[in-house]
Amino acid sequence: MTMTAETAPATVHMQEPDLLQRIKAKYFATRIDAIVSVAFGALALWIIWSLLNWAVFDATFGANRGDVCREDLHGGACWSVVSTRWRIVLFGLYPFEEQWRSGLASLVMLGVAVLSCIPWFWSTRRLPILWLTGFAIFYVLMRGGWFGLVEVTEQNWGGLSLTVFIFAAVSILGMPLAIVFALLRRSDLPWISKTMALIIDTIRSLPLLSIMFTFAIVMPFVLPDWAIGGKLYRVIVGYALFFACYQAEIIRGGMQALPVGQEEAAKALGLKCRHRIGYIVLPQAFRNALPPTINQFVITFKETSLVTIIGFFDVMASGRAASGTADWNFAVIEMYVFVGLIFFVFVFSLSRYGAYLERRLDTGRR
Amino acid sequence: MTEPAIRMEGMNKFYGGFHALKNIDLEVKPGEKIVVCGPSGSGKSTMIRCINRLEEHQSGLIEVMGTVLDDDVDHIDEIRREAGMVFQNFNLFPHMTVLDNCTLAPMLARMIGRAEAEKTAMQYLERVKIPDQAHKYPGQLSGGQQQRVAIARALCMTPDIMLFDEPTSALDPEMISEVLDVMVGLAEEGMTMVCVTHEMGFARQVADRVIFMADGEIIEEGAPDQFFDNPQNERTKTFLSQIVGH
Ligand SMILES: Nc1ncnc2c1ncn2[C@@H]1O[C@H](COP(=O)(O)OP(=O)(O)OP(=O)(O)O)[C@@H](O)[C@H]1O
Ligand SMILES: [Mg+2]
Repeated sequence: MTMTAETAPATVHMQEPDLLQRIKAKYFATRIDAIVSVAFGALALWIIWSLLNWAVFDATFGANRGDVCREDLHGGACWSVVSTRWRIVLFGLYPFEEQWRSGLASLVMLGVAVLSCIPWFWSTRRLPILWLTGFAIFYVLMRGGWFGLVEVTEQNWGGLSLTVFIFAAVSILGMPLAIVFALLRRSDLPWISKTMALIIDTIRSLPLLSIMFTFAIVMPFVLPDWAIGGKLYRVIVGYALFFACYQAEIIRGGMQALPVGQEEAAKALGLKCRHRIGYIVLPQAFRNALPPTINQFVITFKETSLVTIIGFFDVMASGRAASGTADWNFAVIEMYVFVGLIFFVFVFSLSRYGAYLERRLDTGRR
Repeated sequence: MTEPAIRMEGMNKFYGGFHALKNIDLEVKPGEKIVVCGPSGSGKSTMIRCINRLEEHQSGLIEVMGTVLDDDVDHIDEIRREAGMVFQNFNLFPHMTVLDNCTLAPMLARMIGRAEAEKTAMQYLERVKIPDQAHKYPGQLSGGQQQRVAIARALCMTPDIMLFDEPTSALDPEMISEVLDVMVGLAEEGMTMVCVTHEMGFARQVADRVIFMADGEIIEEGAPDQFFDNPQNERTKTFLSQIVGH
């Protein structure tokens, strides 16, 4: 009893040193600390200051012609390149008058991605329906040829909407494949699980670039004519396969974390195999594997830019193209900053969402 | 003579080279309550889990409610629907509410509509005295409550037989009686029961027959009074003195 009376004021005192004291304790405790702190502080200030100068104070915003911007230039950025040529970054070679379709389609997919972050959609039925519907709308809008929309072939797709298309297609194709792979990998029959393990490990040990290349360039020589399909789709299939192999291992990890009692209880209730998997095993496996799954999506989104090697203009390549004309070729960095920001917005929000989920599931488990 | 609810004849079970169950012969009549006891590792769990094919037996006959247990999946599913099981660790589905835990199997395996399944589930939840917890998740319940949900979940399939594998062993002492009360109630209603348990009070009160296993064999069986007060086999005597000892 007396002990708490004695220690209580001490802890209160400990909790509230004022700001100055805290800074002093943290950064200026010894002489070396102080020197390092001052040096790095100055360096940081200098970097921030130069960046601000470049990006804001010395920058040109309004000029919508390259030569004007170039003359105006006094060491700052030329954001005019973004304000005049952002459409290429977002839509690539998509016909100008139809670009609203491309934009709307991307917004639809974005909406789908946001909706699938809501736990209400996390069921074996709702999530696939959501993604397939969203994807169908996206495809009809982009491709046209229906509902009086002018047809625009895949060769003319580009920019952010192409990136979104590839990402969505890979996810929709790759996720079911990953589930099938994971289940086969876990099969009771050794020859099935061993074969699957071999396939997964082989594909995972190949670089994505070479897989894309193989599917785009080599496959047409190997496959029968009817199975060749468009180059874009072959690349997507290759990428989906790659995605599936990684994701399958993630899902398998989630399954292994399940106590055996879960499946036994489901069996004892008379549930059939597909019901056990659909209602008991997979939902829990995905919950267990959420953080690495989100990580996998982040990586998949970023690596879509590899499709440039087979001649498609994703958001990255479009950015390069947008600043590639004689008019604007001095403003490459500004374009990359813009493209980088686009990636950053997507990837950063995904990882923040992942972190949020982790906390949420942690509290749910208690 | 009525058909037995469970019949095992010359049943053998191996784990690899290890002979886990040796020539098990056992008949359980409808409405009969059997308590199985024996030292750890004697094969009690294995035997009870063979009845609904959570473990596969290698030879001999197992017949449940007239259905022979073989490799036919339809037979296995039929038997699993007729024999409910309650586990030591409850094994509730943590990602579903208590109510969903109870309605899942009736809806999927018995093709009962949601409304009716929920009505039945609420009746059984009332029977185990936790209707007010129906919309909680298993993780929010105490061990005793979870085990009662597990019993209700099994009952929702309206099984003819209930199998219990040490249903109170994972519970804190103060929660054991609430689960045993439910089981006694079930027994009084005439449910056919096979219980692996070391609750000797329960065995005396409820069991028609007590079976003692050791090293994968049924060594002794008899009515509870005779079994507890006048055991014949040396190993039974040793075992009983040990569990009475503390
Ligand atoms: N999956 C398995 N693989 C190999 N051996 C097993 C396996 N499961 C059980 N056994 C062995 O079979 C024997 C019977 O085990 P069982 O779990 O049926 O015993 P038990 O009587 O239920 O014991 P307890 O009272 O500890 O639950 C034990 O010797 C055990 O080591
Ligand atoms: Mg056991």
